[in-house]
Formats: sequence, structure tokens, C-alpha cells
Amino acid sequence: MPSRGAPHSPAGQGLPERGLLLLMVLLFLQGSVLPFGAASSPDVSQPAGLNPHKVADVGHNVTKKAFPVLIFDYQHIQAPFEISLWVLLASLMKLGFHLIPRLSSIVPESCLLIVVGLLVGGLIKLAGEDVPPVLDSRLFFLCLLPPIILDAGYFLPIRPFMENLGTILMFAVVGTLWNAFFVGGLLYAVCQIQPNNPSVLHQLELLPCLLFGSIISAVDPVAVLAVFEEIHINELLHILVFGESLLNDAVTVVLYHLFEEYSGVGVVTVMDVFLGIISFLVVALGGVLVGAIYGILAAFTSRFTSHTRVIEPLFVFVYSYMAYLSAEMFHLSGIMALIACGAVMRPYVEANISHKSHTTIKYFLKMWSSVSETLIFIFLGVATVDGDHDWNWTFVTVTVILCLVARVIGVVGLTFIINNFRIVKLTTKDQFIVAYGGLRGAIAFSLGFLLDKEHFPMREMFLTAIITVIFFTVFVQGMTIKPLVELLAVKKKQEAKRSINEEIHTQFLDHLLTGIEDICGHYGHHHWKDKLNRFNKKYVKKCLIAGERSKEPQLIAFYHKMEMKHAIELVESGGGVKLPSAMPSTVSMQNIQPKKPPPAKPVERALPQLPRGREEEIRKILRSNLQRTRQRLRSYNRHTLVADPYEDGFSEFLLKKQKMMELEKKIKHMNNYLTVPAAPPDSPTMRRARLASDPQSYNVKPASDSVPSIQVDLASPQSPDSVNLMDEFRRAEQEEEDRGLMMRPPGDGHAAKDQQKLMRCLSDPGPSPDEDEDEPFLP
Amino acid sequence: MRRSSCRKQDEVLIDRLEIYQMFPVICVSVSTAAIIRLHERFEFLDKDQTGQLRPEDLSTLPKLDFNPIGDRIISAFFPPGKETLDFASFVRILAHFRPTDKNHARGGVLQAPASSSTGKLKFAFQLYDQDGDGKISRAELFQALRAMLGLRVTEEQLESIAERAIQEADLDRDDAISFDEFRKSLEKVDIDHKMSIRFLR
Repeated sequence: MPSRGAPHSPAGQGLPERGLLLLMVLLFLQGSVLPFGAASSPDVSQPAGLNPHKVADVGHNVTKKAFPVLIFDYQHIQAPFEISLWVLLASLMKLGFHLIPRLSSIVPESCLLIVVGLLVGGLIKLAGEDVPPVLDSRLFFLCLLPPIILDAGYFLPIRPFMENLGTILMFAVVGTLWNAFFVGGLLYAVCQIQPNNPSVLHQLELLPCLLFGSIISAVDPVAVLAVFEEIHINELLHILVFGESLLNDAVTVVLYHLFEEYSGVGVVTVMDVFLGIISFLVVALGGVLVGAIYGILAAFTSRFTSHTRVIEPLFVFVYSYMAYLSAEMFHLSGIMALIACGAVMRPYVEANISHKSHTTIKYFLKMWSSVSETLIFIFLGVATVDGDHDWNWTFVTVTVILCLVARVIGVVGLTFIINNFRIVKLTTKDQFIVAYGGLRGAIAFSLGFLLDKEHFPMREMFLTAIITVIFFTVFVQGMTIKPLVELLAVKKKQEAKRSINEEIHTQFLDHLLTGIEDICGHYGHHHWKDKLNRFNKKYVKKCLIAGERSKEPQLIAFYHKMEMKHAIELVESGGGVKLPSAMPSTVSMQNIQPKKPPPAKPVERALPQLPRGREEEIRKILRSNLQRTRQRLRSYNRHTLVADPYEDGFSEFLLKKQKMMELEKKIKHMNNYLTVPAAPPDSPTMRRARLASDPQSYNVKPASDSVPSIQVDLASPQSPDSVNLMDEFRRAEQEEEDRGLMMRPPGDGHAAKDQQKLMRCLSDPGPSPDEDEDEPFLP
Repeated sequence: MRRSSCRKQDEVLIDRLEIYQMFPVICVSVSTAAIIRLHERFEFLDKDQTGQLRPEDLSTLPKLDFNPIGDRIISAFFPPGKETLDFASFVRILAHFRPTDKNHARGGVLQAPASSSTGKLKFAFQLYDQDGDGKISRAELFQALRAMLGLRVTEEQLESIAERAIQEADLDRDDAISFDEFRKSLEKVDIDHKMSIRFLR
């Protein structure tokens, strides 16, 4: 049993060690339960499932047995239980890796997961049981792959994708074709050049070789995502490699089916090639079309969901999944359908759904894709242990070398051609990263797994070679790409968020360029973008977006999102937030400037400044009088005797209201004692207290400001200070009035409008940390 | 077409020579193919064949009408005081949008050439800065926003956006955006890519 050994640290176990221990425990658990589960093979489970019922029926005729108090019925729940166990293992692995700090920075997660898979597979095998066929192709393509692709497609950064679409397509289509034929062809040639020792390789014909080449040449989106996510490379390179991995699916599907179809026959005619090309166009464009249709349906449905917000995310998921399944039904490219569906529906759905639904969608997608990815890598490890392998040194090493060479030549050659058409050229460093980032993954394995043993006697050899290539790319290239990126000083991703200035100026520049293009008479990039935007605004948005938001310009939507984000940040950090209804400025949304001092508000300035001695006196008096309510104040601040408004605002508000009532009563009392005309009940202070339509207007202000205004003497009439205090109060009041305190509540209409705006804002799709998500549709 | 194609070739060749002789500066920055194309366009726009463009010639372009900042663009071609535009000036202004040639160092040029990112940004800045004082004031930003957003947005919202933008960008607190602040706020945008028209290479 491979044992990592429990660490013996005298000072108790630290967190990393605990993580290791957790892993060990889990592995044992997995090892013990799964064989047990696997032991009950499918044909046994059926009658076992029926048995309890049969026993029940039979039981009536047979002699009565003791009533079983506790039954262990594993078969009943076997399948879901095992699935859950795998998912749990995957999630705990993910947790565990991040508890071990040094490991996760050196080794990418995908490698660790494969290792875990290998270990689990090894454990199961050692326990003597059959390894469950986990990387079943159907399971992979129908359950594990879609969440990852949907996540990628929904959050695809459209702008860089579209700008580099030509380059991406070149790499995806031409690059993959070149790879497939180069690897397949040369492999066949190599296999034929051993006339002295007639080996098994001689039986390999051209078409199976080409088929193998097409399987192995496709860059895998899952692996690319897993590795590139950790290296934070700049946007351009990321989208190039990632886009290529997504779009080469169509090519792979066509090539695979073409060669598989004709491998039996052994001959491919020109007609077949021609049909293959047509098939490629159908597969690619058909996939995109299917995806777009479902995307539009989803967007349209989301228009009407304002009353049933709870199921909004469900529409997004189900429509996308159906797009994938429908495309797969016709053997079109499911991946392209998913991408198209997600990308098309996103701007409209986001305009329609609530903030919470948006968050739900985002987190569900991230969760599913994360679990899927983890499971895929673990299963790769398990399947490696499981499968029958046919290791052929020549074949495997030649494959690995050819893959690398083909990739490098392909990238360099294509870049040479593409750079003539690009404004921003790809440098050598870029080319290197693109070539090095061409990772293969589980899709290649699953495609190989799907091969029929009858037609392809070489299946095991293929699978071995595929796994070797996958391991090589994921381990070697995956582990070394991070240090290489550092070494070559490749530009990294810029983390900062987009500012409103950028947004405004980018739109301005877009208009400028469109105008200049018109003057030049050049139908360029901007011209078509502008046309599409106009079409979108005029027709599409009206259909697909509910209500008034269809007319809202992009800039405004962006601005609202940004303000919301800042507002939430500010509240979370406990800063001084003032809602618009309390501010007399012309700014309709919250003018929150966490970095800069907020523009001075008349309300603050108008509060009088008391001399310090007086302040102390007043505070003393008030403190003594507020004794009985002290236990109800949750936070006791030296400067204000009012509880911190940020804790549970509403109950504080009630508390204050109550105090106000008492205050008014006491003042009325005092009026009977004092000859000084008391402050009218509708004094500025009272009015301001009543103004508190929202609890948050009671800000934590310095004592000198707030003390005389709110906490005016609650002393009993017999208090020696009371008269002085009343004078003080009156003086303060006069001072306030002298300064022209703006006491009327800012126009009720204004407040109402602001409230409305706030409500709408709250129903907006919420803030997103990812800067790319902030971009408007086709900026 | 007004002329037959072969006559046009000759005319273009003659024009090209003239251009080379009279305006050597342009030839350095814009390629010959681009100049030829621009010349064709110039003649297309020049409806009354005077060899000079007038503002009306440009404003007759239908798409420019739709463009929210169309009038500003036209006034960039016709600075105050000048009513006509000859071909050299036409090309000189459009040379701003030539893709930046990062690889060739321009030795001996005193200023940054027009097609560098600074030159491009300066051009865009001038479109904002209507009164030419070297700063984008709040009012000017407001005007630009109003032009871009039209009447769909209330006065209030525009003001708050302008306010927000100025506060974000204005680092020296003079309540206006200077050229350096403008450039800084666009540092994450790839200006060379965004403000380039491919055929002007």
C-alpha cells in the first residue's frame, strides 16, 4: 500500500499535515467502499433490488421470521451513493490541495488530481475489485463536459474573442488539420519503416493512423482552462489558446467521423473529402445556429420571468443543456452550440433577471464546472490504472515527439501568415506560449475510448499512446509553463476594474473611428460593429429585454452597475454611506467616493460646534439619564450615546423614535417650569428627527455635532444644569437657524424618485468581480 | 465613373508625383497605396471638382449624420477659420489613424509622429476639447455625453456621470481633465489597435 506516512510532529499537527491526513482518510474510505460497491455487479443488483419485495410477498407464505430491526441494503442506493461519493472525493481533494500551501503553487491542480485518481484506482485494484468504468464516454460527453463548456461560453469575453476571431479560426481549423495529417501521416511512415523486424506496427494502415492523428491533435479546453487559469496570462494569449480549444471541436468531430467511417473500407475518395468539407461547414455552422436559436429562446423566456424570479437560473441551464443535446443529436458540434447559446443569451438575460438570479447562475456554473473538471482529472487517473495497456515504445515515443513538433511548426507557420493581417502582431514569445499551451486532455481519451475494438485492433495501443501524450502535456507542460511565463516575462493579466472614464472614452473612440471609416469609405471592423449594434438596439433589444430596460443605453447600465458595486463595497467596509434621500445634492445616485473626501454637505456644516467644556457637561448629564436604556444599546460609543446605526438599523430607529417621544414629553414638562419660551415642538431638531425616513441618516458623527441636536436634555426639571442647557439649546437652535440650515426634507418627489431608482438598481443584475463581465454587448 | 480607368491611372500617377514633390512629409508616414486610395476617395467626396473639400461635402455622407459626434469630426477636418481642405491636409489628418509601427524607431523626428499612440490620443482629445484650452472641462464632458447618449437620458443622470468621471480622472483637482489625465485613464486600452485603420498602413 503506498503510504505517505502520517507526519510525526512533536508540536502537534499543523494545517498542512491535517490536510494530508484528511487525504489519507479519504483514500482509505474510497478504497474500502468502492470495491464493495463494485462487487455487486450490475446483473446481481437487479434481482437484489427486487428481492426485498419478493421476500415481502413470499414472506406471507413462509414461516414467520423475526422482524429485522436493522437492515443493510446497499444495492438499493448503490448508484447514487457511489456518484455522491465520487463527487465528495473530488470536492474534498480540491479543498485539501489548497490547505497544503507549497504544493498548490508548484504543481497545477490538474496534475494533483490525476495523481489522486491514480492512487484511488490503484487502491481499488489492490483491493482486488474491478475498477468501475468511470470514464465512460457517454458519461463524459453528456454529463461531465457540458458544465465546463457552458461556464466558459457564458463568461466568454466577447470583445477580445471577436477581435481575434480570424486568428482563432485559423489556429483552430487549419492548425488542427495540419496537426492531424502531419502526425497521422508521419506515424504511418514511421510504422512502415521497419522491414527487418516485422512488428505489430506494420499492420497499422493509413486511415487508422490518420484517425489517431485527428484524435490526438485537438487541443483540449478542459486542460487549457485548468492550467491557464493559474498562470494569469494576458488576455490576448488566453483567448487565443482557449478560443482555439473551443472551436477545434468541429474539426475534430468531422475528422473523427470521417476516418472512423471509412477505416473499415480502407479507402477515401475525393468525393469523400469533398463531402467531408461540406460536413465540416454543416457541423460548425449548424452547431452555432442551434446554439443561437436556443439562446434567443432563453432570452425571450427571461423577459417574462419578473414574477417568478426563483426559477430564472433554471431556464439558463436547461436551455443551454438542450442546445448541447440537440446539437449532439444531429452529430453537430455540441461545444460550439453551447458557446453560441451562452454568448448569445447573456446580454439579454442579464438585462432581464434579478441580481440574485445572476449571482445564482454565476455560482452554480462555477460550482458545476469546478466539480466536473476535478472529476474528469480524477477519472483520467482511475482509467489509466484500469485499462488494458499495450505499451509500444516506438509508437508512443514517436507520437509524443511528433505531437510537439507538429504543434510548433503549425503555430510558427500560421503566425507567419496571420501576422500579415493583424494590426497587433504576435511576437515570438506569444508564439511560444501558444505552442506550449496546446495541451491535450480527456476529450482525446474519450474519443479513443469510443473506438470499436473490432474495427480497430490497435485500440489499446492507441489508448496507451493517448494517455501518455495527455500525461506528458499536463504534467510536463502544465508544470513548467508557469516558470516559463515568469522567465520570459510574458505580459500578465491586468486585474484592475474598468472605470467609467474608460467606458466613456472607448465609446467615444468607437464613434470616432466609425466616422473616420465613413469618411475614408472603408468598410472596416468598426463599420460592421456599428451596424450590428444599431440593429441590435433597434430590433433585438426590444423583443428580448423586458420593459424600459430595453431602451437603456449601455453607458447608463454600466454606470448603474458600477455605482451598485461601490455601494455594496462601501457598506461592507462599514464606511459612511448616506442614501440619496438624505443628500441635498443634484446627484441622483449615490455619490460615493471612498478615496476622495465627499463633497461637503450642508447638513453637516449646519450643525453647531460646541465648546469642549460644555460638551463634556452635556455628555455627563445625558449619560446619567440614559442609564436605564444602556443595556439595550448594543454598541457603546464614547462619543455618541446612540447605538451604532450600522447594527440593525431598524430597531435602532424604533429606539430613537421612542426616545424622541420621551424627549418631547420632557420638553413640554420643562416649558411649564421655565419662563423662557421653549423651543416649539416643531423645532429643527424635532424636524430632523422626523426626517429620518431611513435609519441610516443617523450617522456616527463627532459628538460636538450630534450631541446638542439630538440628545437634548433629558434631565429632570430639578437638575441644576437644566436651565443652562435650555439656554444652550436655544442658542444652538438660533445658531442653526442663522446658518440657514436646510431643514426641509429634500423634496418628497426627489426622495420617491431616488427610492424608485434604487429599487430598480436593486433588481439589476448585480456586480461582478470579473472585469470582463462589465462590458456591454459588443462595445 | 466620371473618367475612364486608364486616364485615372495617369492622373493618379501625375498627382502622385506632385504629392511627392510638394508634400514629402506625408509620404514618409502613409504608404503609396494608401495615398492612391485616399486620393480616389478625395475626388469622390469633392463633388464640384475644385480640388478642395468643403464642410458640406463631408456632411453629405449619410452615415456621418447618424454618428453622434459626426459634427465634431467634421470640424476636426476644418479648424476654425479654414473653409476648405486640400488633399495634403486630408491625408495628414487621416495619417493619425495609421497603424503604429512600433518596430521602426523614428530617428530624427522631433515630435512624436502623428500615428503614434500619443498622436492618436491628441487627436481624440481635441475632439473633446471644443474650446481648445487644453483641458476637458465638466461642461465639455457633459456636452460629449449628451451627444453620445442623446435624449434617452435625463439631465441629472448625465450630470452625475460627468461628475463621477471627472472625479475619477482628475488627479490634480482642477476640475478638468488634462491631456495627461486623459491618457492615464485610457492606459489599459490598446490605443494602437483601437484607433487604427488597416488600409492606411
